[in-house]
Amino acid sequence: MPTPSPDLLLALLADARLPVGGHTQSAGLEPAMTHGGLRSGDVPEFLRGRLATVVAVEAGTAVLARHRVARGGNLTDVEDAWAARTPSAPLREVSRTLGRGYLRMADRVFPHPVWAGFPRDPPRPLVLGALAAVAGLDSARLVRLVGHEDVATVAAAALKLDPLDPLETTRWALDAHPLIERLVERCSELETPADIPAPSAPLVEEFSVLHHRTKQRLFHA
Amino acid sequence: MHEHAVTRSFRLGIAGPVGVGKSSLIALVCSELRHEFRLGVVTNDIYTDEDARFLRSAGVLEPERIRAVETGACPHTAIRDDVTANLLAVEDLEHDFAPLDVVLVESGGDNLTATFSPALIDAQIFVLDVAGGGDVARKGGPGISRADLLVVNKTDLGPYVGVDVAQMKVDASTARDGRPVIALSRTDRASIDELTTWLRSMVAQFRGGTHSPVDPGPMAPHFHADGTVHSHA
Repeated sequence: MPTPSPDLLLALLADARLPVGGHTQSAGLEPAMTHGGLRSGDVPEFLRGRLATVVAVEAGTAVLARHRVARGGNLTDVEDAWAARTPSAPLREVSRTLGRGYLRMADRVFPHPVWAGFPRDPPRPLVLGALAAVAGLDSARLVRLVGHEDVATVAAAALKLDPLDPLETTRWALDAHPLIERLVERCSELETPADIPAPSAPLVEEFSVLHHRTKQRLFHA
Repeated sequence: MHEHAVTRSFRLGIAGPVGVGKSSLIALVCSELRHEFRLGVVTNDIYTDEDARFLRSAGVLEPERIRAVETGACPHTAIRDDVTANLLAVEDLEHDFAPLDVVLVESGGDNLTATFSPALIDAQIFVLDVAGGGDVARKGGPGISRADLLVVNKTDLGPYVGVDVAQMKVDASTARDGRPVIALSRTDRASIDELTTWLRSMVAQFRGGTHSPVDPGPMAPHFHADGTVHSHA
């Protein structure tokens, strides 16, 4: 295979049409609207909060996983560091479900011996990090992928949950770019699992637990 | 990827518009065949786990064997463009209750163009009902034309909704070039036997390796104003 363009690779992996189950997710938006009374006008601030907390954990974990796989190391302590920073059991479970979807895609589309060593349900950032190492995506683009993925998931879900102009949600995604670049600065140079940001997001966590028990829902999480 | 030793079940999709009786058809299949086949069910509800709860409360299968998948308000996507969530649910059932014989995947009711991807299921039933109108079968569409089986459901309602069931079945058979059509009513024993016979035969073909998934495809063979008829298959 010729050397891939990292920009095309990023576009491919960030495309909402990538068949990894993304359409089942709202990145915490439905739980926050249902249980926290969040309204669509609050979403830009909600995105800022996520990018500073849960998404930073995801991005930092993915960067560490990428380093490890690139150097042939194992991922046990990276996974432990992720789990310690993800106290909500439903959120860990959701990440593992998404990880299975990405692993299924990666194993078929980016064949590599590393996939054989993965468990059945790895957390998503571990698969994304390994995929970046295998496919040739640098750390900065990997963080952009994680950041954009979260923002785009919230924006797309918002259209199902509230009457909105789709151009408005696109604007939210664009306006989040400086925040994603800040995340790149914060996470793309991390070297050890201890460096992974460890912020808390108690409301996101609480709503995720409540959502898990909610019968009427459009989105998995 | 770490593979788990599980039995690969025969995966049967049930598609069709909202309200045609997909859940009832699954309940019927379960109650008829649960002693003969080890079964699992995946439902795709639009906004609730209503279908899963209906099936659990119908008592036709242990509740744990019925799983609901959220589709993020995209029932069409979940069975066609991105089958990930459904496929994981099917694999989970096959893993947790190995060995399973048949897993039934119920689509969230969508429009006439929604059909299952062969990446998710081995065969599919498209369901219509007489109450939706006698002309629906004539309208065609990939599911009506080329699903492995077309069921015209609730035939007992024909006289009350002014639909000539026999004619609707003829129209459906014409639209399908002779592929199987069953006019079903849960009050009509012969039609139920016809359905279970079809399913047994599909399972036998699947196990014998003689069944290949057929993709109804997004577009039926169609007519152009210059008189040509062609297919994009």
